[in-house]
Amino acid sequence: MIRDPEILILGAGPAGVGAALALADHGVRALVVDSGFAAGGQVYRPMPDTFAPNGTPGLGPDQEEGARQRRLLADSGVATAFGRLVWSIGTDLRVDALGPDGPEFWRPKGLVVAAGATERVVPFPGWTLPGVMGLAAATILLKSQCMLPGRRVVVAGCGPLLFAVANAVVKGGGQVVALADLAGPGTWLRAMPALLGRPGDLLQGGAWMARLAAKGVPLMFRHTVREARALGAGLKVSLGAVDANGRPMRPARDRTLEADSLVVGHGLIPSTEALRLLGAEMYFDAEAGGWVPRLDDDQRASRAGLYAAGDGTGVRGAVGAFLAGRIAGLTAALDLGRIDAGQHARAAGPLRRRLAQARRFGRAMSRLMAPPSGLYDALDAHTVVCRCEDVTRAEVNQALESGAADVNQLKSWTRCGMGPCQGRMCGDTVAQIVALRTGSRAAAGAWTARVPLRPLNVEALAGDFDYDDIPLPTAAPL
Amino acid sequence: MSLRIANQVRRGPAVTLSVDGQAVEAFAGESLAAALWAAGRRALRQSPRAGTPRGVFCMMGACQECLVRVDGQRALACQVAVYADMRVETGAAT
Amino acid sequence: MSVNDKARIPGGETFDAAVVGAGVMGATTALFLARGGMRCALIDAGGVCREASGVNAGTLTLHMTRAALIPYAMRGWDMWKNAPDWLGGDPGVCTTDGLSLAFTAQEAALLEERVEARRAQGAPIEIVTASRAREIEPGLTDDARLVAHCPMDGYVTANLTGHTYRRALVEAGVRLYENAPVTGIEAGDGGFRLAMAGVAPRARRLVLAGGVWLEDMLAWLGLRIPIKALVNQLIVTERVQPVMRSVLGIASGLLSLKQFANGTVLVGGGWQGKGDRARHTTEIVPDNLIGNLRLARYVVPALAETRIVRAWLGFEAETSDALPLVGPLRGIAEAYAIGCVHSGYTSGPYFGRLLAQRILGQEPEMPLFDADRLLATP
Ligand SMILES: Cc1cc2nc3c(=O)[nH]c(=O)nc-3n(C[C@H](O)[C@H](O)[C@H](O)COP(=O)(O)OP(=O)(O)OC[C@H]3O[C@@H](n4cnc5c(N)ncnc54)[C@H](O)[C@@H]3O)c2cc1C
Ligand SMILES: Cc1cc2nc3c(=O)[nH]c(=O)nc-3n(C[C@H](O)[C@H](O)[C@H](O)COP(=O)(O)OP(=O)(O)OC[C@H]3O[C@@H](n4cnc5c(N)ncnc54)[C@H](O)[C@@H]3O)c2cc1C
Ligand code: FES
Repeated sequence: MIRDPEILILGAGPAGVGAALALADHGVRALVVDSGFAAGGQVYRPMPDTFAPNGTPGLGPDQEEGARQRRLLADSGVATAFGRLVWSIGTDLRVDALGPDGPEFWRPKGLVVAAGATERVVPFPGWTLPGVMGLAAATILLKSQCMLPGRRVVVAGCGPLLFAVANAVVKGGGQVVALADLAGPGTWLRAMPALLGRPGDLLQGGAWMARLAAKGVPLMFRHTVREARALGAGLKVSLGAVDANGRPMRPARDRTLEADSLVVGHGLIPSTEALRLLGAEMYFDAEAGGWVPRLDDDQRASRAGLYAAGDGTGVRGAVGAFLAGRIAGLTAALDLGRIDAGQHARAAGPLRRRLAQARRFGRAMSRLMAPPSGLYDALDAHTVVCRCEDVTRAEVNQALESGAADVNQLKSWTRCGMGPCQGRMCGDTVAQIVALRTGSRAAAGAWTARVPLRPLNVEALAGDFDYDDIPLPTAAPL
Repeated sequence: MSLRIANQVRRGPAVTLSVDGQAVEAFAGESLAAALWAAGRRALRQSPRAGTPRGVFCMMGACQECLVRVDGQRALACQVAVYADMRVETGAAT
Repeated sequence: MSVNDKARIPGGETFDAAVVGAGVMGATTALFLARGGMRCALIDAGGVCREASGVNAGTLTLHMTRAALIPYAMRGWDMWKNAPDWLGGDPGVCTTDGLSLAFTAQEAALLEERVEARRAQGAPIEIVTASRAREIEPGLTDDARLVAHCPMDGYVTANLTGHTYRRALVEAGVRLYENAPVTGIEAGDGGFRLAMAGVAPRARRLVLAGGVWLEDMLAWLGLRIPIKALVNQLIVTERVQPVMRSVLGIASGLLSLKQFANGTVLVGGGWQGKGDRARHTTEIVPDNLIGNLRLARYVVPALAETRIVRAWLGFEAETSDALPLVGPLRGIAEAYAIGCVHSGYTSGPYFGRLLAQRILGQEPEMPLFDADRLLATP
């Protein structure tokens, strides 16, 4: 590992790898930091190196693309720091991480934030039960662990991952008890041209749909999870119809199914904490998944030395992430004076054209993943909104009624978002509820970004020390 | 039927963990969350306020629901790989 | 202007008193002015108690209070303890024992000196034996050289301050202007006109209660009083099983440590971060976070097993002599300031009540802190 990178890349998903490769091409001393133990990010999460693949794993050609990117990264000679969680970034670009060797920090000249996305799950009664897991979460279990999320699984939510996961479950020998899609077939048909613009991609929704139907998997379009209840070691899952806005319909015809597990997700949310910590200018873009940084065409954020790429700048998928990462890397090389504007333009031009294409696909995908607003109306008073603190919708409403004007004031008054997930699981839902009152997500606001970016073990952070090693400041006045 | 998909991969050496004092079979390098999941240990902790059971939810280190103790230290089951004789305590984290 | 209030605010209304800044100082003053029969407006750039008064550590400790302020802090402590009686609600007040510790010979000397000075002002603080200290706080390390005990300690859940105050203010009939930054003040015959977006309320009396922004506010009236902005860092753990039951600090005042009823442990003590009050930005200094955490972990070894989930910062105001600025602004009739109180959360309610007494024409129970001593000569 190197001590003095010129550019530090936060995240070794496709966006981070793209940036690293571009920087390596131009001789920039870069360091990629990731909390995981190998490059690949969420989409190309590798299997443990103790595993030997044996044919094509459940989620298809992604494993190969991931392996290719890891090879390219290794060959590029770019320094990597895996197993390091970045927990603080200062406005002087000091980046602090905690890893196996305790706390460490770097002071790069520039920072490429490629932190990816987290999954959105819109709450429903029973969503906190063990056995209920995210849809994207299930992809991790399937692709990196070759493990089924259950023997009999209900797959629900929206977006292309629905079919990817259902298909992988069937392929792995599991049973999909039902697939409940918030969208109707018409939505998919309309999105198809853009989605097919990326043949060979794993999100081959149409083909999978057909395959699942052929296998006898009940495909329930315009349906949602009403409720999950524990039943022995498994679950009882109620599914019901919704209208085009996600509002419940025909409750008398709800169906209750027994299953091992429920896999449910409603799209992805860009992870922007690092950027917000640095005061980067943000705006709300529902279609991109939420709050995203304002970037110029070259992936520069609103302050010098700060670049961003990938799903953390708006959910556009793995291909777009890699291309945007490359452009970010080129731009950082340009700003360091390693290449000139002409070289930058020549290299970035073709990337940008491909990126535009990838974004067309990405946008179609994001549209499919965006939860319809009616889902939030359907959230009843007793439903837990904040998992960590067990804050219910009713408690959120009470705080709003007693004058909480934005998400941060609501957080102070209810502890919603104060738990160890740091508001990652409830933030989007809460903001959506606040926005019902304030009129817009912009007015509802976003959690103030706080350090540490993830919970940290005190023992690991404090390390071994004597009293004399504590840098005590001068005493307060008496 | 095991949740481990057999035909797609050859796993590493089998290892035994101790989970709340009971032996659980797993494979070296496997994610602890996956190993617990496959063993049917789905409830890993209770939420501190309402005391309701929680388990693996996001698989990416974000939700914090899979917090357990590994060899005495708090750790996210989805973020650590298992090794032989790993000592895991569930429910004890909070 | 907050969305809730927009429709209700008529322009140019005249109040008996306008309080600018709705921290614990301004909010308490406004509350008692309204209870004293005045039509009172309380104006804040943000919301009620969302700056220092909503993000502070909430410790109600005499161990950290400046000796000269002990009598005020004791009365403040008492007010917090009885918050339901005068505030109409309980922002999570808990009274418990407080210990102040010394680990080195130098700290022990400091502790002895400080205990003496605070006792002289009436604080019920005593040096106790190590075994007594461990009885009071089973979570305490064995390494303390000297321990001082005060039975009058405790904490408030500071993030609930705004919620509780807001309800009390509304009930008392205080007119709240939230998210309404004041940009200037015109002083004329018979009163003041506040410059702010949309409306320009007038008031016969003016109270400036702007925390670290008090310096700017005083400048509106042509007064130059330098006010330093401390940027205090705080760290909190996730909810954990009980590891301690008291409030712990060290002789130098650089630690404040306690566990709330919900299981979270708050670590503070005035370790400094970085901040810019004009731009309203703050950021932690990682080395100070680690240092503060080491100290906490040293004092309560069981903390080693916990995880921290959040750190944040707030601005605390300090005058050049580190004593308060509470009282009339001489030369400008019916203009007052309140702020810059060390451990100001503890004594805030009391100072607010004192100033309200003064404004209502009563004799304050205790002396105020004159602004004149601080006026910078031009
Ligand atoms: C759980 C999950 C599963 C997904 N599965 C698929 C899939 O199967 N197929 C698909 O097409 N798309 C999938 N996606 C969408 C996918 O995120 C993107 O299309 C793609 O991975 C984006 O690449 P990226 O480089 O922008 O971010 P990511 O791939 O998410 O990479 C971001 C990297 O940053 C690291 N990181 C973030 N914060 C820190 C920090 N503070 N310290 C250290 N490291 C940090 C993360 O560990 C991660 O490796 C998934 C998303 C999620 C959340
Ligand atoms: C991190 C931290 C920890 C602390 N811990 C403790 C503790 O444990 N115990 C203790 O006793 N004390 C503690 N203190 C000190 C205590 O919090 C303060 O002394 C007290 O809260 C100050 O109250 P205030 O009303 O003067 O200021 P503030 O609460 O800062 O209120 C000032 C208000 O003025 C408003 N304002 C500013 N400019 C304008 C404008 N132009 N127009 C309208 N409104 C404006 C602001 O929005 C703000 O609401 C701590 C302070 C900090 C920062
Ligand atoms: S399952 Fe969410 S953090 Fe491990």
